[in-house]
Amino acid sequence: MSTPPIGRRGFLRGALGVGALAVAGCAPGGGGQAAPSRLAAPSATASAVKGEITIWNRSGDLFKVFDAAIAKFKQAYPGVTVNHQQVDIDAKLANTLISGTDVPDGSFWDDAKIGGQAEHLYDLTDLVAPYKDQTAPYKISVNTVDGKIYGVPWDLDPGLLWYRADILEDAGVDIAGIATYDDLLAASRTIKERNPASKPIHLDKNPFLSQLWLEMLANQQGTSLTDANGKLRLDSPEYQNIFAWIRQATGDGLVTHAPYLEPADVNTLDSGQQVFVPWAIWWSFAPQNLLKTTKGKWRAAPLPAWTPGGARSGAMGGSSFVIPAKAKNPELAWLLYEYLCFKDEGIQAVYGPNSVYPGGLSTSVPSYTPALDPAKPLFQPIEALGGQDLWKVATEAAATIPAAVPIPWWWAQSVDYLGNNVQRLIEGKMSPDDVIADSAKKIQRNLIDRG
Amino acid sequence: MRVRTWLTPYVFVSPFFLVFAAFGVYPLIFALQLSFTRWRGAGEAVFVGLGNYSYLLSSPDFWASLGNSAVLWLLIVPVQVVAGLGAAVLLANAKLRLRGFFRVAFIAPFVTPLVAMAQVWIVVFDTDYGLVNYVLNLVGLPDVGWLTSTTWSKPTLALLFLWKTTGFAIIILLAGLQAVPGQVYEAAGLDGASRWRQFWSLTVPLVRRSIAFLVVVQTLAVFQMFAEPYVVTQGGPYGSTETAGLYLYDHISASDLGTGAANSFLLVLLVFGLSLGAVRLLRPKDGTS
Repeated sequence: MSTPPIGRRGFLRGALGVGALAVAGCAPGGGGQAAPSRLAAPSATASAVKGEITIWNRSGDLFKVFDAAIAKFKQAYPGVTVNHQQVDIDAKLANTLISGTDVPDGSFWDDAKIGGQAEHLYDLTDLVAPYKDQTAPYKISVNTVDGKIYGVPWDLDPGLLWYRADILEDAGVDIAGIATYDDLLAASRTIKERNPASKPIHLDKNPFLSQLWLEMLANQQGTSLTDANGKLRLDSPEYQNIFAWIRQATGDGLVTHAPYLEPADVNTLDSGQQVFVPWAIWWSFAPQNLLKTTKGKWRAAPLPAWTPGGARSGAMGGSSFVIPAKAKNPELAWLLYEYLCFKDEGIQAVYGPNSVYPGGLSTSVPSYTPALDPAKPLFQPIEALGGQDLWKVATEAAATIPAAVPIPWWWAQSVDYLGNNVQRLIEGKMSPDDVIADSAKKIQRNLIDRG
Repeated sequence: MRVRTWLTPYVFVSPFFLVFAAFGVYPLIFALQLSFTRWRGAGEAVFVGLGNYSYLLSSPDFWASLGNSAVLWLLIVPVQVVAGLGAAVLLANAKLRLRGFFRVAFIAPFVTPLVAMAQVWIVVFDTDYGLVNYVLNLVGLPDVGWLTSTTWSKPTLALLFLWKTTGFAIIILLAGLQAVPGQVYEAAGLDGASRWRQFWSLTVPLVRRSIAFLVVVQTLAVFQMFAEPYVVTQGGPYGSTETAGLYLYDHISASDLGTGAANSFLLVLLVFGLSLGAVRLLRPKDGTS
């Protein structure tokens, strides 16, 4: 049988047709990826569960802590192999979720970033439900998007007022008397009168961290950047309070404006220039590992309140665990995270004494409230804090943290506007009204309206 | 038989075209389609027409990023052409002592990993503990916020780029210089032309194509500059080092893929126009292209 001749033009037309089909097929979203379904827990018993999971974590000490905890998980679930990897999550996770290639079965992630990628994650609402009522309301809020929970709430990071006990004692300032932010300014003035070189209050120079800090102060007042409907709240009285306070503190020369724990910061912390650091519990890392001459002289207290009798803490940062919609073994990843976040043995494995933190992990507290018993410390009093029982201070403060609303998907991008403008406010280059007007305008136009 | 005869060459060249289509044409078409949509990497893309383009063209941040890149271009390319040409002329001189050493010294930064050099830059130009401010303090001058002030952040970043890539400029210009026949200079010398006159009237016109090539390549590099500000300043302070490349990346990393794609096409058009302008400006006067 002879082959019918194909003309050159016919061939090229055919090739063009194939190309056109290829073009049509490459339309964004053409794959029609279905919205991730709700994840259900595996029904097999612990000893019968089998499989391999890849888990991403941050590098550093926390990786080692989780590595040790995962070893204990493997004892409880001997059939599960965990490939625990150190990854630059901030740089890689979002891109990996979008590309859908080499997606891990689970990953550690900042609470502030979960909302922006919810459509790439498993809906964990049903799995978290049994623990929801016993989890800090703030953590449930920040892991929730459109009523669905997308992250397994891990740690809670209560804001505390870190202070130099020796300097306060010399100045005759009683930490118990610092009950409001106005009291904090008054105490700072007293210290500055004794030592004019002192700039007692730390305000951070990093735009991202300063916005995170701002949100801690807002959360303390029961609000956040948006309301439950996603409407900006920057012009609310709560934010106006904060910006006015910053302006007062900087105008009175009471502020050391330094980047978080970089040499300039550490130097002024050790020199006595800084006396108060209103910051999250994770600042405890500094006296334990960075400060030299002032190690043992720092203590922690609840944050001052914005109004007498108001909440004495707010959450600053925090992380959770997410399970990507394209995970190969999402059920096994859930078992791991359930173990680490909600099971007594797993919580002990993470927070209790370990080879990395012999006294226990003291840079956060669990968000699962049954583990937050002031009388049952997960970590021990800290020598670098003069033997203070940080667990008691932190858990009592954590109990006062108000609930929040879900963190909007654009939160991290808004740092370009709000975080930078907070810096300008601290440097005296912007007024509180300008910060509010300029940030709100840009966030609305560039982020919210383009959602 | 007829099919097989004329199909044969297509079969032979098809591997290239298949690879080119998969990794060249397909991503380009995909990105172009993407630029007309709002898509965050999952679900259905929403067609927004020219919305992403009009958003960018009316965005002060977009223009600010182009402005930052333009200032960096001014700080980098003219300096690099002049310094590179001077260094190339010196290195082309056979009488220069330690010529091999200087060649290696100029090229070394070009082959050193950027991230390592950027870390050195961060340490050397640190406001509080950097070597540069230490030296300034020794002679009684105050600290300068090299990487923390909007005034100095761009020059400091430009210096890093110059240090890193001037070796490449020297290679290009040196190759151009070595293609110039020695008799040209001998004849000019016999006619009484001074060294300076020879440089201006012979060297510069004869390496004009190399200069044009260098300007085009470095214009592309400056407007796509990403790693330097990403590692050293993250675009700060206050967006003063937010280059066009970094601004584009910010959209992509925020999963705003449609705007990122539109931004990249606007950048392509801009760089294409600038390159065309540079080529026309530096075209040899004899009319050859």
